[in-house]
Formats: sequence, C-alpha cells, structure tokens
Amino acid sequence: MHSSTSSFERPVPAMPWTGLAVAAYLIAAVVTVAWEIRVRSQGYEPTLNDTTDLWADRREAVRPDALVVIGDSRPLFDIDLDALEEGLGKRPIQLAIAGSGAYPILENLANDESFKGDVVVSLVPAMFLTPGGYLEQASKDALRRHRSRSPSQRFSHHIAMFLEERIAFLQQEDLTLAMLLQNIEIPNRPGALVPPRFPPYFQTVDRERRTRMADECAIVGSPMQQAVTASWQRLFVPPPPPTWIPPEVFRETMGKGIEARFGETAAAIAKIRARGGRVVWVRFPHTAWVKEMENIGTPRAPTWDRMLQVTGAPGIHFEDHPELAGFDCPEWSHLSAPDSVEFSKRLAPHLKRAFEERQPKS
Amino acid sequence: MEGFLVQMGVQYRAPAIDVILPVGISFYTFQTLSYTLDIYRRQLAPAASFRDFALYVAFFPQLVAGPIVRAIDFLPQCVSPTPPRAGRFAWGMFLMTLGLFQKVVLADTLLAGASDAVFRYGGKLAMIDAWAGVLGFSAQIFFDFSGYSTCAIGLALCLGFSLPDNFKFPYAAVGFSDFWRRWHISLSTWLRDYLYIPLGGNRHGSLRTGFNLVVLMFLGGLWHGAAWTFVVWGLIHGFYLVVEHTLRTLFGDPRFFSTLLSKIAIGLLTYAAVCFAWVFFRATDFGTAWRIVESMVGITGTADKLLATRELLQVGIVTVILLTAHWMLRETSIEKVAARTPMWLIAGVWATMLFFLILNQGSANAFIYFQF
Repeated sequence: MHSSTSSFERPVPAMPWTGLAVAAYLIAAVVTVAWEIRVRSQGYEPTLNDTTDLWADRREAVRPDALVVIGDSRPLFDIDLDALEEGLGKRPIQLAIAGSGAYPILENLANDESFKGDVVVSLVPAMFLTPGGYLEQASKDALRRHRSRSPSQRFSHHIAMFLEERIAFLQQEDLTLAMLLQNIEIPNRPGALVPPRFPPYFQTVDRERRTRMADECAIVGSPMQQAVTASWQRLFVPPPPPTWIPPEVFRETMGKGIEARFGETAAAIAKIRARGGRVVWVRFPHTAWVKEMENIGTPRAPTWDRMLQVTGAPGIHFEDHPELAGFDCPEWSHLSAPDSVEFSKRLAPHLKRAFEERQPKS
Repeated sequence: MEGFLVQMGVQYRAPAIDVILPVGISFYTFQTLSYTLDIYRRQLAPAASFRDFALYVAFFPQLVAGPIVRAIDFLPQCVSPTPPRAGRFAWGMFLMTLGLFQKVVLADTLLAGASDAVFRYGGKLAMIDAWAGVLGFSAQIFFDFSGYSTCAIGLALCLGFSLPDNFKFPYAAVGFSDFWRRWHISLSTWLRDYLYIPLGGNRHGSLRTGFNLVVLMFLGGLWHGAAWTFVVWGLIHGFYLVVEHTLRTLFGDPRFFSTLLSKIAIGLLTYAAVCFAWVFFRATDFGTAWRIVESMVGITGTADKLLATRELLQVGIVTVILLTAHWMLRETSIEKVAARTPMWLIAGVWATMLFFLILNQGSANAFIYFQF
C-alpha cells in the first residue's frame, strides 16, 4: 500500500522566473501604454462598451411606472434623456439595442406583470418585423444576461465600466484583437457568403446608455462619416436567402413569420395596455440612400400604417411633422449629438399627446 | 434521454427538472471513485484528515475541467507540503499566461469563428470551408482544453501543489493508442486503470481486447453527454483502436515504421482520422455531421463558400504551427523547452502573450469542457 508520504512534484525549469516575470510585465505595460497613446491619436476616446451587462443594468432599473424606450440604434442616438425628461416629466430608461429586432424586449415587458408604464417603440420595419436571425438574437442575448447574471459577472461588469471610462483602447467594436484582424483588408473568394462588417466606432455611451454620435462622424465628407455610410450600403442590402431552402419555401416561411409578428406585437401591446400601460410607435429620422432603400424595401403602407392599425397604438412618423422632418442625418441613419437634443425637445410634446390619447385596454 | 429515445423512434418529453448541479460534478465523481477504489484495492491508505480529503475533492484550480487528479498524487502533498522553491510562483504565473493565451487568443479569437460558422451552417459547403471548420475545431478544442489544464497546473503551482500533465502534444501522435497517451491523459489513464484493466484489458485474447476497447471508448464518448453523436465519436475511436491493435497483432512493429518519414506519414494519418472523429463530437446532430463529411470529401455538387479568406488563413496558419510545434516537441516537455530557451526570448514571448490577452478585452467564451 502506498504511504501518504509518497511525493509528486512538478519540475520548475532552472531560470530566474521572478526576474523574468517582472521583465515580461514591464514590457507588456510599456507596449500597452504605447497602444493607448496610438489609439487616442487616432481619435478614440474612453467610452463604455454597450454590452449586454450595461443593458441588463438598465432593465433592472425599470420600475412599474417607468418610461421605457425600445427598438434599434435610432432611438439610442436620437433620444436625449435630459430633454425627454424635461418634456415628459419622467426620465426615460434606454433599452433600445443597436442592430436588433426589438420584439423580444416588447414581449418581455408585456410578460412582466409588474410593468404598467409607458413604452416608446422605434419601428424600422426590416428589423422589427424580421422573424428570428441575428437581429432578434441581439435582443435575446440581452434578455438572457438580464435573467441569469452571476455575481461574478456583475462584479466583472463594474470593474469593466471603471476601466472603460478611463482607457480608450477598451473599445470592443473596433479595437479587440478579433476586430483588428477583421479590419485587415483581404479579398474574399468570388461568391463567398461573408456577412458585411458593422460600421466602425462612431459613438460614445454612458452608464444610462445615452449614445452620442462622435463629432467627426457628424462632419459630412470626413473619413469616419464615409466609413459609416459605406457600411450602411453593405448592411442595408438584404442577405441572400439560404441556399438549402427552396426560394418559394423561404419566401412563404418569411411571409408567415412577418404576418405572425404583427399579431404577436398586437397581443404584447394589448397585455401592457390591459395593466394600464401605454405604447407609442415612433419612426425616427433617416435620410438619403438609407431612406431610399427603406422606402423601396419596406414601403410605409404595409409596414408602418399596418402596424398602427393592427396594434391600435398611436404613432409619430417624423415625415408627418415638419418640426421633426427637417433634421439631417450625417451618416443617413442617425442624428448628430447636438441635433438629438433638439429633436428630443421637439419630439417630447408629440409623445405627450400620443400617450394621452385614449388607448384601448385590449 | 429524450435524444436517445427520439433516435429510437420513441416520442418522449421528459419533465423539466430544474436542478442546479454542483460545479465540476463529473470531475470530482472521477476523483472520489478513484479514491474509494484505490482504498478498496489496498493501494492507498485512507486520508487521515477530512480537511485534506475535502481539499482533494474540491481543489478549485482543476475542479471544473480537470486534470483528474489521483488521491495517490495529491494527498501526500497535503500531508507533507513541498517547501517553497525559488521561482515556482512565477513559473506558475507563466503557465497561467500560456494557458489563457491558448484559450482566449488561439481558441476563441483565431479559431472559434470558422468552426462555429461551419458547424452552424445548414447548407452544403465547399470542400475547403468544411475542412477549415473541422481543422479549426480540432485546434480549437485542443487549445481550449489544454489551455484550461495549463492554467490549472499553473495556478496549483502558485498555491504550492503539483498537478499531473493532461496533454503531451497529442497531434503528433503516431497511432491511436499513442494519441490517447497524449490527449486528456488524466481521463484516459483513469478509464484504463478503473475500467479497461478490470474488464480484462489485453489479457484474454484479441477478440476480448477489441471488445474491451470498444466498451471503453463507448463509455468515454457517453461521458461527454447524452447524445448519440458523442457515442459515435467514442465508437469511432474504439474502432480505430481495434484496427490498430489488430494490425499490430498481425504484423508487429515493422522496422520501416520507425523511420522519421513513416512516423510523420502515420502521424498525419492519425491526425486526419482524429479530425474526422471530431466532426461527430462537434456536430449537434447527425444531419450536420453527414453534411460536413460529404462536404469534406467533395460530393455535394453545388456548395457554398462560407468563410472569409481571413478565416481560412487563420485556421491554416494556426494548424500548420500547431502541428509543427507538436512534432518538434513530442519527445520533450514544456519544462525542458523552457530550461533551454534564452531568457530574452522567454520574457518577450511572455510579454507578447500578456499584450494579446489585454487586447482581447474580456471577449472570451466559456471553456468547452465546462459542459462535461
């Protein structure tokens, strides 16, 4: 029988490991500082990353009578929380998610029995109505984080926010190793089904998820503005249908999914209203090529008009109100930071009136 | 269970049981089993201290994904702690950095994208894409799992404990028994000592040996999850081992197999066969597995080009470096390599790994083996 004193010890290579550790950490520190200086010289500044943790923080802040904003990136950029609070007497909670289909968030609020507040929903038809896919997944990921955050994830998130507010290279949309590799221009094979890249970093985000367009992006003709508009031209073109599903089957499935989405949305809104909550649709400004594409791909009548009719909720379409229609989107899809403040001031009275409209309980 | 029954044509939906499983349950089940069996076989004296036993079972560095530690190796370290040694803590830190680099930079950043895309895709793939996905996963699972084990070994060293190796450059294995002497060593030796040998090992003729090998690998596959794909992965490896055993029985070890060239040829064949088996390990269902196998052999007709050139390059470059490194290091150990490497190079490599880890900014995924 083995005694309990038999020995097993891993060898440690004969090297001055403590000195090597100090040298390695010093070199890494110097290189990291140099990298920080470089990215700042390229125009990056410290900002929070709009992660699912940051979203989950805001979801946890939703009280029963809260004013909540959901949707895609447009309300993120275009709504100024201070201006809307001033106009509506209630500080909005920003739950919109860039590049998302917001239906799962609406459904989550509808199924939250404690929630009986007000909801502003941005409608970009191609994003809201598309069933499944990565658009909905963005919302589902955020909800999953909200439902199942571990204490270590919360702690990690707080450390991350502390660091991100001070260090510019902690920028997950552009400056992770994976994103830096993606940015290396290597031609793809003809016909390769490579998804388009998302636009480069062009915003700052704070702890309330107030998102402001970077100043450079607001300058038409600047490299950043051109990079963002170029990325819209790739992103707003619908991806090719899957090759393993016959086109007619795919079209029929999508058609049924979109049709079902109208019904599901009406049911979710009815649930919120039944508890005394109120819902208003908003179509935020977009211009130039993006507007042309949206008008062709998702004309107003079968999308916006139909959604208002099916759900019975009031809507504010920027084109219907001259004071909302005159804004220019520098990169065709979002307002600049100064314009977002003015837009929010002008939007507030419309929202107030819409919320005060009699909304049927079911 | 549902998966098994559905495959057998029985529609069954198990009631949802919302049970929170203890962290690392499969790994400490192995450890407590080996402890109990070693005492039963009178190969080990029971631990004198419950505190030491509890530390052995719940030693956090290796608790969730191994290596599986034998009581015979660990308990003596509790009774007679090794005295502090110069550099042990820093060497442990180096191993932790190396393990994290394998996991975060190599597995998650350079490889996971291609393998995830290929195994998620519902259509027929071009041959190069299918191979890139499979080779990418082969490298990913090595770096992911080996990275965790290296972190665990490093962290344990920092705390003054020694854990055994779990990987020894497995993609330079020459033959399948050699592969299992190099891959997840703590699991394969556990299965050998507590399952294969009690079943009779190779002591009762070729037929019984083959049966034992298949049973061993069937259970090894099943341990990874209640899915037929894992079972098939295990059975494929069982089949490989039986074929190898049969060939050795029939032909012995011919002299020309000992030349470097033939070793490399057999090694590459072993690697290709192991990669083929990984298809069933990674695929969530047989439809996906067959689609990828068909794409790998190029019998799909019209097929989609899924991956970006960058992803193909990443997988190709990492795979070539991985195989070269494994072949260069197959007869040695990381400790021996470190001992003869110039100091400036170690400091440079260490600093580079640290910087790349910092660049990743917390964008890593969970370890693959956390699910087992």
